[in-house]
Amino acid sequence: MHDPVVQATSLGKQYSGGFRAKPIQALSDFSLTVHRGEVFGLLGPNGAGKTTFIKALLGVIRPTSGSATLLGQPIGTPASRFRVGYLPEQHRFPGYLTAVQALDLYARLSGHDAPSRKSESVRLLGRVGLAEWADTKVKKFSKGMMQRLGLAQALMGDPELVILDEPTDGVDPIGRREIRDLVTWLSQSGTTVFLNSHLLSEVEMVCTRAAILNDGKLVGQGSIAELTTAPAAYEAQGTPVDAGLPGLPDGVTHDGELPWATYRIHADSPEELTAMLGQLIKAGVTLRQVTSGKRTLEQAFVEIVADAEAAN
Amino acid sequence: MIASRPAIQFSGSLQLTFRELWSTYVTLGLFVVSTICWLFLTFAMNLDVVEGSVAALRIFGFESTPTDHIRDPETGEWMSQSMGLDKLVVGIQSFVFGASYFLGTLLGIFAAAPLTASLVTESRIGLLLSKPLSRHRFLAGHVLGVFATVLLLSTYLVLSVWLVLSLKTGIWVPSFLLAIPIITLMFGVMYSVVLLVVVITGSSGFALVTSYGLIFISFILAAQEQILTQLITPGKEIFLGLYYLLPNFIEAVPFAVQLVEGDPVQNWVPITSSIVFGAVAFFGAFQWFSRKDF
Repeated sequence: MHDPVVQATSLGKQYSGGFRAKPIQALSDFSLTVHRGEVFGLLGPNGAGKTTFIKALLGVIRPTSGSATLLGQPIGTPASRFRVGYLPEQHRFPGYLTAVQALDLYARLSGHDAPSRKSESVRLLGRVGLAEWADTKVKKFSKGMMQRLGLAQALMGDPELVILDEPTDGVDPIGRREIRDLVTWLSQSGTTVFLNSHLLSEVEMVCTRAAILNDGKLVGQGSIAELTTAPAAYEAQGTPVDAGLPGLPDGVTHDGELPWATYRIHADSPEELTAMLGQLIKAGVTLRQVTSGKRTLEQAFVEIVADAEAAN
Repeated sequence: MIASRPAIQFSGSLQLTFRELWSTYVTLGLFVVSTICWLFLTFAMNLDVVEGSVAALRIFGFESTPTDHIRDPETGEWMSQSMGLDKLVVGIQSFVFGASYFLGTLLGIFAAAPLTASLVTESRIGLLLSKPLSRHRFLAGHVLGVFATVLLLSTYLVLSVWLVLSLKTGIWVPSFLLAIPIITLMFGVMYSVVLLVVVITGSSGFALVTSYGLIFISFILAAQEQILTQLITPGKEIFLGLYYLLPNFIEAVPFAVQLVEGDPVQNWVPITSSIVFGAVAFFGAFQWFSRKDF
């Protein structure tokens, strides 16, 4: 296993609610590990605590409990942020600066020297499709262009970890695709990407692992394949049988298309699955393959969040 | 020579502040007004000096004769005589100092408050604090940028006026140059209030009201000798407490004029209590900024 780039242990954040108001628990006992080279997605409904977690990692807010490290350094220290690029959900660059000047300024605040700032600015503006707008003032940029500039800013200095908070917000479909390609390119070049998004289809397309936050608590995490695996649901392919065939076990439905029919099986345990498959064979079905049932990330997200809310 | 990372980061924070201040046009406005001031003294004002006294003063060609009203030592009656050239120079310099002290501070605070408040808005501060520099260093760069701008502007005005007047009249009053640190210092004291309020509340409007309010209160504090005679305990103690605790922006003027005119200073309290107030406010602002959740 690669070394952890982000490691949070029982992280918590409580905001005081102000005079005579109840405190707000934005993050509760949140533990998470992101390994080097991963594209990790953090999902959750609005107000789940996603941005709070990112802000805590970057030292913008202070956690009230637990601990965390970024690239092996305790969060809150400047050293933990040196090899980290960040695109906030809401960001506003000074309108009087040109794109090149804005990149130069933020790279300067990161401590990069002048020659590297200049060459990096030109290279990255080209990478995000803003090369011809390099000397245009930021105040003339559209929201999508501002987002691309924010991405270029996050990539200055060749960071080991890039944290993107809703990177496709306000970007048109073509721009979204370009940002997805950029994330894939980053991943291929070994950069760890931490993606915070509510666009589940995007997370499903680009992320290797994801975690789901609800009401400040971690309610699910795993690889995209694990998360999209429907629990207790299986699919078996085999020879078709008549719909009304006696002996087809309860909990099994099927599409009787030739040459292979798909049998959808609901089984809560491996023993139950084995028994159901045995009944299918007894009913005259020749089985070709058995796989776990699939669901979209969106279905998984809705089900996991609903289960968590029902448990509360 | 390769600059160290902290030096580069600090220069970034400074650069951000300079650019922001320049973009507000208040800085440009103060620069233009200063330029007009010394150009006026250079080209529009002409002096005829006879035996060390101003025989005639012409402004845009219109002539007037500056006079002094003095008491005749023998008869005790008031009489007019031509103003001494040195007195005219000191008078003009005092006027320039007073105007730049009040207008410079009020306009400077007016420009700096929204600038500092915009820095701590959610859409900007998150990205700035995600950079690998400490909060103290970032804020120090910002404060130093504001101070440096005020220092540059006041130096430009005071130095140019001093040079023009000295070259035209041959009377050099070096103590006038003390106006530069005094203006910068008292601006700093009032800016410390703006910084503290903005860091706590994020509101530039509230910061302006508070700092202008303190300037207004300093008018009352300046009349402490008259007011104290009217007060009884515990009002007297409360007033005196406020006098020593709050910045004495108005009472610092006579102190400054005495320094600028080269006279002995009668009362150091207004300036020392103001400096202590400013230092405490800056300390509070830095502490609050370093701990605040944005």
